[in-house]
Amino acid sequence: MEGIRSIIIAVFSTSSGSGKTVTAINLAAGLADEGYRTCLVDLDLQFGDVLGYLDMVCDVTLADAQRAILRDEKNFRIDDYLTEYICGETSFAVLPPPRNINDAYQVSVEAVEKIIGSMRGFNFIVLDLTAVFSALNLAMLDMSTVINFVGVMDFLPAVKNYKVGYDTLLRFAYEERKIRLVENQADSDRYIKYQDVERLLGTKFFHHLPYDYQAVTHSIRMGRPLIYSVPLSPLTQSYGQLVDRYTNKNRVTFSSKHEKQDKKGVLSWLLNGRGWKAAQNVK
Amino acid sequence: MNYRVILVERNVDMLSHMAGTLKADDSFDLASTYRDADMALGQSSVFRPNLFLIDVDEPRAVELIGNFVRDYPQAQVIGLMENWKPDRAERVISAGGCGCIIKPFSIAEILGALAIYRRRGKALPTRTISFFSPKGHSGRTTLATVMAIELAKKSGEAVAVIDADLQFGDVAMFFDAVTERNVVEAAYDIRLLTPATLEGYFHPLGHNVWIMGGSLQPEHAELVETDQLIDVVRMAGNLFRYVLLDLPAGFNPISLALAEYADTDILVSMISSGQEVRHVKRSLKMFHMWDNYGKKIYTIFTNVQNCTGDHQKKLESELGRHVTKILPVERRITEVTGSGRLMKDLPERTPFVQAVAEFADEMVSGRR
Repeated sequence: MEGIRSIIIAVFSTSSGSGKTVTAINLAAGLADEGYRTCLVDLDLQFGDVLGYLDMVCDVTLADAQRAILRDEKNFRIDDYLTEYICGETSFAVLPPPRNINDAYQVSVEAVEKIIGSMRGFNFIVLDLTAVFSALNLAMLDMSTVINFVGVMDFLPAVKNYKVGYDTLLRFAYEERKIRLVENQADSDRYIKYQDVERLLGTKFFHHLPYDYQAVTHSIRMGRPLIYSVPLSPLTQSYGQLVDRYTNKNRVTFSSKHEKQDKKGVLSWLLNGRGWKAAQNVK
Repeated sequence: MNYRVILVERNVDMLSHMAGTLKADDSFDLASTYRDADMALGQSSVFRPNLFLIDVDEPRAVELIGNFVRDYPQAQVIGLMENWKPDRAERVISAGGCGCIIKPFSIAEILGALAIYRRRGKALPTRTISFFSPKGHSGRTTLATVMAIELAKKSGEAVAVIDADLQFGDVAMFFDAVTERNVVEAAYDIRLLTPATLEGYFHPLGHNVWIMGGSLQPEHAELVETDQLIDVVRMAGNLFRYVLLDLPAGFNPISLALAEYADTDILVSMISSGQEVRHVKRSLKMFHMWDNYGKKIYTIFTNVQNCTGDHQKKLESELGRHVTKILPVERRITEVTGSGRLMKDLPERTPFVQAVAEFADEMVSGRR
């Protein structure tokens, strides 16, 4: 692995509640499922939800990693501070945020840069950021290979913030091709069309994630990524496609088969063979 | 209206300069001048004044403002200061004065100060209310703006919302307002401003509500220093009886400082993924530090599907603390905020708005 630099995907947005954490988790899970060695870093330091959404408990956090790397950078081993999320046969590493808010407040940008820089054994590092242009987020965006810029276009102020966010990224001289615009679709009866947003932004979306509130809720309640909790949801499929686009693979879509089941709700996916078994086999 | 004025100023030159300004105007009748505030307090009754202009750079004069207000109920009291001192100005207002102006003054500045004070409302200290949420997308801005409308309605006094979410503030959009100036500029200029000139940084929405909008360039937030922003908030207290602060999400230097400065903090969290109670619990630990100092801290959950007393109790037991209010899901609110029609089309009959109105009422009547 020496010499191979990890691909860093930053999951960013400029409006809260646009699905950053769900996206980060499912990207990480999808990449891991494809056999890539993946690490998910929760950089919502104060109120991160990764552990909550994955129903995990961790003994060590970013705060411990920071203390260690500042004490002795040479002998710092990132593996000591990662917790493995295991689901069936796949797993990925998680670096959780500090446990208490005061520690979160003490986290330094420099230390996080060093910590991320020390993660050598991974094919992919997925960063779950917060909806603000902070020093930390900017440093992470700098380090990233791609910026997965998520937005929900169901609310005019949110569209404004998406536009302002995108313009700001460009103004900060992030390359256009590094920024991947991902629409997290809201309810079906939305009054803002993504085409209008594209016109406003002057560019196209890279990917659209379909609306599936039930699937997300179920996944969070089970504490498992979508592929292990609601594998047949169109949203799960869409995350699969997004993973493929980042891994340069072409997945044969089998969505046509499942489109008919879209409206049946979460139980039908669960009881639909693969989903149920997957749910049974894990842990 | 004619003003019978008593002017109090220690410095002789300044005194004669200001006396000259007053004498030159027909609507002002300079009844007497004093160099000493104690003397003015004791002797002015023979002149039946209805306006005191008192140099409050003099510490003793500040202490006496309350006495002037009590002994001369027919008169208004304006403090004079050479340059803006926020704590002096606050003390004048708390003691029942009309606020302060910079000396030497013009007639327009005196009239301006009196007009601002009349509009501001009761002769009571400003209520500064911060709206904090651990994470974004919590209904924080919605609550702050609806609360502003309801406070203005219930009290008949002037209410301002300052959009302190410096990077991605949405307050102006909720009212479809294009604000000429924004909070970043106000903070940047504050050392040069007085209440009268700060007023221009607020955008009037009518119905006694004003807003100070955010910037459209997120990086400009970097230009704002915390104490400058605090000074903006303090000075706004001279203009408005209620100053509402829409804070950025989470704990950062700005949200911490403003929440600490405010006399009332409202923690807002939206029930969605189920992690929220935990976030509020952790946040409350931080707020607990100020709790003992007579600060009011309220917890409000928004987007509650099952808005019943039982559900509130359940949330309270999870939180281990009293929940002030739970607010129901309200689509119509999202519609009007999203399209900038909040002031025009506030759906007053909805349970959401009624619950906020009730809270505003409790606040106006001093129960909260």
